[in-house]
Amino acid sequence: MSRLEAKKPPLFISEPLTRDTLSQSLSLLSGILKSCYGPAGRLKHLHNGVGGYVCTTSQSSAILGHLSVSHPVLRVLMASVQNHISRFSDCGLFTAILCCSLIENFKSLNIASCTVIKISKHLLSLCMDYLKSEACGCRVSVDFSSVETLLCLVRSVLTSKPACMLNKPEVDHLTMLILKAFMFTIPCCVETNAVLGKCLIVPVKGRRVVDSTVLPGLLIETTEIQLAEPLTIKRTCSSMIKIALFSVSMSGDLFNPEEGTITVHHGISLEMSELNQLLNVGKQLINDEVGLVVCQKVIHPSLKQYLKENHVITVDRAGLSLMEPMSRMTGSKPIASIRSLSPGCYGSLKDVCIESFASKHFVHLIPNDTVVCSLMLCNRNETAWDELKRICETAEHVLQLTIKEPLALLGGGCTETHLASYIRQKSYSLSTSSFKEIDCSRTQYQLVADGFCRSLESVACSLNHDDGEILTDMFYGHCWFVPSGFSSVSNWSDVVSKCGCGINGNTENLNWRLLQGQFGCPIAQGCPKEPSVKFADFLTLDCFAAKCNGLQVALETANLILDLSYVIEDQN
Amino acid sequence: MTRFSGWISGGRSREAAALSPSGRSARGGQPPALCGARPFDSDSPLRRRAAPLGSASRCPSPPPRVSLTPLPPPRPPSGGRLLPPSRRACAGLPALRFPAAVAMSCRPQPGRLAQEAAALAGAVRGALGPRGGRALLVRPTGQAVLTRDGRCLLEALSLEPPTARMMAACACSHRAATGDGAKTFVLLLAGLLQGLRGAAAGGGLRRALRAFEARVLERAVARGLRGHFLSVLAGRRAEAGGLEALLEAYLGGRLGPGERRLLARLCCEYCRRCDPGAAAVPRPRVLRLLGRRFAELHAAVAGLPVESSRVLPGLVLRRDFAAYCPAGGELRAVLVTEPLRPPLSAPGGEFEVSSEGQYGASLRWMARRTEDVMKRLQRGNVKLLLSSVKQDEVVIYYAKLHGVSVVECLSEEEVALVCEITGVTPYTPFGDNTRGEIADAAAATFCRPLLLGSKRCAHVGFTGLHAFRPHCLILCGPVDSVNEQHAAALQGAFTMLQQLFKTVDQREECKGEGESQNEASEVCSWHPSAAQQQLVIENVSCNGDRVSECQLKARRDETETQIVDPGLQGSENPARVQTDLQIPSNPVLHAKELSVATEGIGSSGGIQKPHAKGKQPSGVHESCKSDSLVDNQKNYSTAVFAARNASAVTACERLDVGKDLEKTSCNIVPCKHEESCVSIAQNYSSSLIEAGSVLPVGGYFEILLHYYIRYYAKQFQQSEVTFISNVVADALLSIPKSLYRTTEQNSFTKFYLKAINALRKNQPLPMNEKGLELVYCKYQLVISVLHCATELLSIDLIIGIKRPLKKIEDCDSEDDF
Repeated sequence: MSRLEAKKPPLFISEPLTRDTLSQSLSLLSGILKSCYGPAGRLKHLHNGVGGYVCTTSQSSAILGHLSVSHPVLRVLMASVQNHISRFSDCGLFTAILCCSLIENFKSLNIASCTVIKISKHLLSLCMDYLKSEACGCRVSVDFSSVETLLCLVRSVLTSKPACMLNKPEVDHLTMLILKAFMFTIPCCVETNAVLGKCLIVPVKGRRVVDSTVLPGLLIETTEIQLAEPLTIKRTCSSMIKIALFSVSMSGDLFNPEEGTITVHHGISLEMSELNQLLNVGKQLINDEVGLVVCQKVIHPSLKQYLKENHVITVDRAGLSLMEPMSRMTGSKPIASIRSLSPGCYGSLKDVCIESFASKHFVHLIPNDTVVCSLMLCNRNETAWDELKRICETAEHVLQLTIKEPLALLGGGCTETHLASYIRQKSYSLSTSSFKEIDCSRTQYQLVADGFCRSLESVACSLNHDDGEILTDMFYGHCWFVPSGFSSVSNWSDVVSKCGCGINGNTENLNWRLLQGQFGCPIAQGCPKEPSVKFADFLTLDCFAAKCNGLQVALETANLILDLSYVIEDQN
Repeated sequence: MTRFSGWISGGRSREAAALSPSGRSARGGQPPALCGARPFDSDSPLRRRAAPLGSASRCPSPPPRVSLTPLPPPRPPSGGRLLPPSRRACAGLPALRFPAAVAMSCRPQPGRLAQEAAALAGAVRGALGPRGGRALLVRPTGQAVLTRDGRCLLEALSLEPPTARMMAACACSHRAATGDGAKTFVLLLAGLLQGLRGAAAGGGLRRALRAFEARVLERAVARGLRGHFLSVLAGRRAEAGGLEALLEAYLGGRLGPGERRLLARLCCEYCRRCDPGAAAVPRPRVLRLLGRRFAELHAAVAGLPVESSRVLPGLVLRRDFAAYCPAGGELRAVLVTEPLRPPLSAPGGEFEVSSEGQYGASLRWMARRTEDVMKRLQRGNVKLLLSSVKQDEVVIYYAKLHGVSVVECLSEEEVALVCEITGVTPYTPFGDNTRGEIADAAAATFCRPLLLGSKRCAHVGFTGLHAFRPHCLILCGPVDSVNEQHAAALQGAFTMLQQLFKTVDQREECKGEGESQNEASEVCSWHPSAAQQQLVIENVSCNGDRVSECQLKARRDETETQIVDPGLQGSENPARVQTDLQIPSNPVLHAKELSVATEGIGSSGGIQKPHAKGKQPSGVHESCKSDSLVDNQKNYSTAVFAARNASAVTACERLDVGKDLEKTSCNIVPCKHEESCVSIAQNYSSSLIEAGSVLPVGGYFEILLHYYIRYYAKQFQQSEVTFISNVVADALLSIPKSLYRTTEQNSFTKFYLKAINALRKNQPLPMNEKGLELVYCKYQLVISVLHCATELLSIDLIIGIKRPLKKIEDCDSEDDF
């Protein structure tokens, strides 16, 4: 008889959005995220109160990953942002803040949620059409023939994460390294289906950030001292080094037993037979003029010795993660059987050498075609290194996304304010037929559009963490930050020098207004303009694909949450 | 926030008295607090019993905290039961010793039933129709499920009162059969029970309900409603864009407002591309395949907007290539289900090593054998190896050397799907024809890796068999639960579209039957027509599906020889069996009967039922034989034969047979049914609802039916039937009322008056919605609700049994949903 347990009734919550608990939790979450946003964001110190791992960060991926939220509705929100991060790496905070802000703004509207959702969907389609059109005033196209825009893009990613505590020379150095590493991964000869190579990050802790470097090819860590002496490597006639890559264990252990049994007669040593086979393999490798043998698993010491005597370098315990890039880089096929060696499996290398960094020794495999590179990333301590690694991966991913779609959006809050002013202007000039199609009134549409624009602007506002004012101009629709202490200045042009992204300077009278705390924003005449001439050298740029996806995901998630009319929680 | 405690789902142990459906004992003679139509109103008394929601409510003082990991629940003492001490003391005693147990057996009252149904309706009403919201269900595992599906909602409520559970089960079984309408079912049932509250339950009411169904309802549909039907199938009034209108209306009831149009278009495109030869709607055969295999025919990516969803040609297998060799142009693929590397020693076997040379030679032989297989594949221009098992590294190595891509660890369903859409059978490399050519390879146009989100998948462009062109639907959404919701909705849509090809036949009158037969027919009387329609599809699209005609004949011959064999036949009358065979009766009915019989409390009643229907009891040896027939052959007619003979087998075996049969009859109904059913006398004249009949969505069906029921009930003299007609007609209005509940512009009254005025003046109805809905599903819904209500009102006594929960659930699988 099974044990009887009293089954708890499910918790039935109707209209979850009207509950106080949700609004409190939501505003708290949005407060935490807003305070992290941007280059001046405040750091968060995550710990579990018991000891062990401590994380100092302002990155959404780290914060959301470690935060556990109990409210089911917020769990949906966080899951959605985390999914976005796992696809795009960047713009996680943007997505999360926008989503919270949209929910808060739409909730207060007192319009039926299905109408709000339809209108906001329409607004989103306006935004996306604008962002994808040529006329878009807040995007710049990325020119891959010059590094300038790419450097701006990488630099923006690095500076927007303040937890690394990088100073300017360090940022410059890392920006160059990341871009260099990315360039290595682009294949030289491009076919129809080009696949980017891989940049492997090698951790070196306890060194300065400026000691970081990028090397073409692969680094395999090794502990053996024998490799410290100068290498004499056998080369083939075309001065290449032949490499054999083994994925099978060469330890001479017995064949992995199957379900049946194997009976061995007395006096027969299968291990000997295995070792003999291994030595045969070694003989064949030498005959085939192989210069380097890399094994994913362990190589038997006897075989190692034998190969060493014949001037073949052996590297074992390479690990599974290195197998794919190594196979790609050298053109070799991992050999899975020690009983048949096909000459077609071998690959080739340009050179092999030994590198030493901070008490670690590496075998450096230098390929002919560099689609694989290694980034030796240094930082002072463990926590800072983790943060730095996340940033480098983000920057790498941003570059990969940008090469697919060579566009970038203006950063520093300018895209948000620009889009908001575009939408404001557009929502006033919409024809009556579109309202009929959405099944709403003009007033409803404008209320929702206003909420949408305020949410976008609130993301721009959360870039500012001091008590300074935030302005927007009526001409370009960009975002301008006033340093704190100048709140009662009559003429704004005296205190601002350039806009958030740095593309516009304070050259003309742009008719500024305060971004926040104002009823009835004046509508700009015509669409916001595209800046004609660039003011600063270093623009703040955001990844186009990531930000577009963030905008869509934030709105869809907000709609999803607004659409909830019940929460039924099983409490067993 | 409201706990569904006390009367609708309360803890079994805590509030056992409240479970009594009469409601007497729970609150000292007071009716249950949650009654009436709006049980979750803010001023409901139960609302004050606020339960903790998340952590934020646990610390109301500022600042609220988001990031609280919930405390682990207090652990029960090891081995102890989670029962109150008083319960624990007498858990093993017979039921009658409890005073509470006596209180638990009680008479259901119509008023009580109406309250329960109204509460259920209140729980699902918010998710009804295009303006309804969705529900977030949090599973005990913490998994979040987004849904608007009535079935999921009803399941999540985990209802406690047996009658409410029965209502939910009926709604769910209707939903399972037609793909739609669980919420509407509950609403209509609530309206109906509310109307019948005052009526005296008993045989009179039952008879009146049946008479209403046969005389008023059918007449209203046949003479009134039928004139308004539109058709999406090619025919007289073919609707352009009918499929999209149908899908949009259907998805409007189960997706959010922002997504339904997009997904309806996507689904249309998907149907078009999967079945390019079909006219307006995919052929039933394709629809069935889509509905059955949709889990494998779609892939989901979280973290992207819904807009990024698209249709891809071919199949996406959710495994990465174990070996990938780029190959251009047409290629062949081979399916294997066993390891390609021969084992050194088979399981249970023993490999004896007598010398080192022998061991080495064996290993070399194994390697060579594997290489030979790959060479053969390469010679046969096979570029892709699909494997359901994990292959050895050596196999992968040789595959790479010979330019064969490998995808391994495919799920059983994926293998079945590949077999189904390409018609290949798994390849056995070590069979008899080791030297032979590879004949059974599937053709594909491409094979390449595909990055879905962060997951690498194998994308194979199979060309497909017959009319079906395999395509894969990539669903995108911000979170997984959205994708799951979309997938479930689309799968439901395919089930719904299958109903498009069904018809409802007219029957003039239900013949009076004995009470025992009524019971059986009430449970399943709408099934026969369903099966009948299935058959129509088969006739339309039958091209050697599974059971071909000749096969059937062969089986018949076989059974006939068995019958004439005098040694085996025993007491059976051969002539009679032969007539039974030639006029196969409804398999569903028999299956149902058998399962109903075994579901009963005692097994003896189960055995008696088929006997009562005048069948000859047969010998035990014979039924054993027919059992084996069922096992060996998936033939429908023999299965019927077996089921008939199986009456002497034990109850549990019988249930199995019945279930088998049910399955068989769902999938393959090989021949046209004759109207020879013993228990249901139906005279078919012409079809009541033709295949492909649709009506505009948004309460038109209900208003029309309401109008015509009223109209035809007036002509009727019998007062009981007139009463029922009025009740049903009013109950029907509760659906458009709920639909228009949340609108601002077009209120229900306005809509109702407009529609009724137009009907009176014989004008076309005012249309303000583009969507369409299936009349067949709607009609079946009304019928099912009538039957459910009849069944509920026929319950005489509810008896609570003090048995372990497990046992009770086993006994009444009706509640097990």
